[in-house]
Amino acid sequence: MRPLIEKFYFVLFGLFLFSAIAGFGVYLTLSKDLPQLPENLAAINLSLPTEIYSSDGDRIMILGERRPIAIEDISPNFLNAIISVEDSNFYDHHGLDHIGLARAFYMNFRAKRVVQGGSTITQQLSKNLFFSFERNFVRKIKELLIALQLEATFTKEQILEAYSNQIYFGSGAYGVEEAADIYFGKRAQDLTLLQGALLAGLPNSPNSANPFYNLDRALGRAGFILKRMVQEGYITEDQKEEARLSSLELLTPKQSSNPNLYFVDYIIRKLEKDYGKEFVHFGGLKIYTTLDSRQQSLAKKAAISHLEALEAEMSERESKEPLQVALVSVENKSGAVRAMVGGKNYSHSQFNRALSNNRLPGSSFKPFVYLTAMSELGYSPATVVRDEPVVIDIPGAEPWEPKNFGEEFAGDVILKKALMKSLNVVSAKLMQLVGPKKVIETARRFGIQSPLGENYSLALGTSGVSPLEMAAAYSVIANLGIYNEPYFIEKIEDFHGNQLYEHYYQGIQRFPQKLIYPLLDMMKGVVDAGTARGIRRMGFHHPAAGKTGTTNDFKDAWFNGTTKDNAVSVWVGYDNNESMMDKRGRGLTGGRAAAPIWVFFLQKVLEGKNKVKFPVPAGIKFETVDVTTGRLADERSLETLRVAVKEELDLSPLPVIPEVPEPEGEFSASPDLFSIPENQ
Amino acid sequence: MKSAGVFRQWQGVVLLCLLIGVGALEFYGKFFERGVGHYLKWQNHKRPQLGRIWERDREALVAQAKVKSLRTGLDLQHNSAESLQNFNELFEQLEPAFPLLVSRKKFLELYFDFPGPWSERIVSSYELLQIDSEKNWERVFLKRFGPWITIGFLDLQGIPIREIFLSVDTLFEVQSTRTIKRGRLEEMGFQKERIFSRDQVVSIVETLDPITQKAVFPEPRWFLEKDYHVTRIGVSDQTSRSQNHVVFGIEYNTDYYTGVLLISVPQEVAYNMLSQIERTDGDDLTGEPDALTLPSGETF
Repeated sequence: MRPLIEKFYFVLFGLFLFSAIAGFGVYLTLSKDLPQLPENLAAINLSLPTEIYSSDGDRIMILGERRPIAIEDISPNFLNAIISVEDSNFYDHHGLDHIGLARAFYMNFRAKRVVQGGSTITQQLSKNLFFSFERNFVRKIKELLIALQLEATFTKEQILEAYSNQIYFGSGAYGVEEAADIYFGKRAQDLTLLQGALLAGLPNSPNSANPFYNLDRALGRAGFILKRMVQEGYITEDQKEEARLSSLELLTPKQSSNPNLYFVDYIIRKLEKDYGKEFVHFGGLKIYTTLDSRQQSLAKKAAISHLEALEAEMSERESKEPLQVALVSVENKSGAVRAMVGGKNYSHSQFNRALSNNRLPGSSFKPFVYLTAMSELGYSPATVVRDEPVVIDIPGAEPWEPKNFGEEFAGDVILKKALMKSLNVVSAKLMQLVGPKKVIETARRFGIQSPLGENYSLALGTSGVSPLEMAAAYSVIANLGIYNEPYFIEKIEDFHGNQLYEHYYQGIQRFPQKLIYPLLDMMKGVVDAGTARGIRRMGFHHPAAGKTGTTNDFKDAWFNGTTKDNAVSVWVGYDNNESMMDKRGRGLTGGRAAAPIWVFFLQKVLEGKNKVKFPVPAGIKFETVDVTTGRLADERSLETLRVAVKEELDLSPLPVIPEVPEPEGEFSASPDLFSIPENQ
Repeated sequence: MKSAGVFRQWQGVVLLCLLIGVGALEFYGKFFERGVGHYLKWQNHKRPQLGRIWERDREALVAQAKVKSLRTGLDLQHNSAESLQNFNELFEQLEPAFPLLVSRKKFLELYFDFPGPWSERIVSSYELLQIDSEKNWERVFLKRFGPWITIGFLDLQGIPIREIFLSVDTLFEVQSTRTIKRGRLEEMGFQKERIFSRDQVVSIVETLDPITQKAVFPEPRWFLEKDYHVTRIGVSDQTSRSQNHVVFGIEYNTDYYTGVLLISVPQEVAYNMLSQIERTDGDDLTGEPDALTLPSGETF
């Protein structure tokens, strides 16, 4: 018996010694990596938040905001709840809960991996302040050592206060004050028992128990916490039942209803790229953007309501991907981006389609081709081009046979009419005459920076561009040739209001006014009586110019248009490039899918405002011409159109060809009588 | 033997009691946690500032350093713009990537301080009157883009009230070369025999027609307002960048130093004046000035 007892003592003593030596060894090993503690726990929340403002003064986003509060300003309903569920022995231990730890060891040993933390509130605070969220034993020991130091350095109240101000509650809320505001729109001191219990359940599962997305689970967890509070003696059974039956008063999620997120996301990324992440998130900046909250909200409403209407009409598809949309509104006089919708729903997809240049603009690219022809060949809106079947030889490739949308040909037609009807053949012919290089040069002067393929099919918009580029380019047309680089940030100030950055307008006259106005007038024709005439039928009566765009198989639908003050680009399509077909088998065109969004948006933006005409520069005259001859209309004209041309252009009607007898011999009629008019 | 056994037995009991005591102390008194905690607290200052909280602290420091550097850059830009002394420096210091921003007050100060009509040719004072009429002109923004210089007259929000586009060639106009240097005429390379007294030259300038007067001499007000006392006038042996011009140096004294205003003057006007001085004094100034390089090696 005695040797057995002796052996027992020996083993016990050995274990004690071993633990002591092992503990000391572990400490020596880890002490090099143990972090220093700050002197004051309250100071850990003091980094300055960066605030982002719209041009109309709304604060649209705060980055790195922490709203630390004193423990006296936190409702006991929350404090008791969090202690009950996270660390019921909080006031008794010194950073280590033996029973909790033993239970966690047992569970982890059984599972042969870390499945349970068993951490005290102090340990969780230690982890939040210093360590990664990776689960391993070394980190666990370090976390414990720091927790012991926290307990030795600070009071329980200080630890609980720091913990309540630090932890993450989901939905972007750090700290109980912010969480109370985001979920219930109130201060942390006013939380009810149910609200306090619900919030106390979030640090453990901020996403899966988030009441915005899984209310049942959140309430289930709150019920469990109320039960724990009864067990711990914080509340009575009656109070628990009363709380369960009380109203939660949960708000609607702010994130998903915030229409500014694509815009804000872009400027944050841009600033991070230009100045560094630290500057943006820890600089305590005030960033004043060009965003107009009203326009942004109207843009989102217009886009979403029309998309929903369209989706109701769409045919059944295998893919469940929703129809997507992009909209950019640029102020012409300055280049300020006033609204930007990058997709249907930011919380579902953060990909910003307003900035992405992977979608083909289709016919909305044609104005650049027409302008190149007017600039390089001296063409005018009254120049006649024959719309006919044509085969364009391409060296080293199959000949190209451009087709019109309706597969019909109009014959002789003036350029203005061709643009209004969006005739592909005419555009292809112009491209063949001027060459893709010249068209690309023109597009670059319009501010298009995306890669453009140097091929004839560029005439039909076969290189991807972004809605932002298109809006900025169309604003050049409205500005009569002045290019303002689109911009998003007006100015940046530091926390004390000192200016760090300011944007200055730097308009550059990229095209002569006399060259660009005829194009503007042609595009007014598109809206008044061309492929976008639906805009007028929808009751939009402000002077406007624009161009629709629809790509092959109805994969992209565009409308880019401008009033005197705003250039707006709208794109609609599927992310996976599927065709947009309705239940009747008809494809969605730019006029049907994108133009209505443009109308709904601008109609609201311009509500109550005067109709402002585009100014006519000096040296421009208006003439009514025959659409088949391009000459001044006369009694022989079957169809006429009013065009804006340079004053010096002679559009006198063709002389009446006298009937002459059949020439004899080798003589023929004077070729002059049949030659192309001067302006052609 | 028996007593040894009893002793060993007691020893075991004591050890057990000790272990139980330690266990109880730890369970109820948390002496292990307290001990380690206080030891770590004592060692705190020796440990490195690691972990997320310190990382955030460092990031905040980096951010503040960036804020400071941006502010310093802007202050420097502001100060260098405000320290400009001559209207033409506004344009000379303009690099394509570095636009210049000056206050309305500074712009007007330099504009009206330029010793000659060149500034008036850049933008007329009547145009400035119009720009100023809405009482919202605050700053002037100058930017070079290719062969063009844009002068933007901005309001408080930075919106241009008026923009003027100048060709860079405007900068090379002879009128724009009026510059001020400290020192005496001789130090600027003017030959002694081509230096004349104030009275000799001013009396001739007085007789010139107003356009020629402006071409060879700034408004007297320019000297008087600044308490610059004109002493001598030199005519350089050298032509300026344009072969048809020579350089006049008008020397003046201030309370602290002597300065020279260098003016590029059309050759024929200069010769005409020189001939009049010759007639007055009989000095040998008949020889035509030779071809030239500028004093102090500077080319106009």
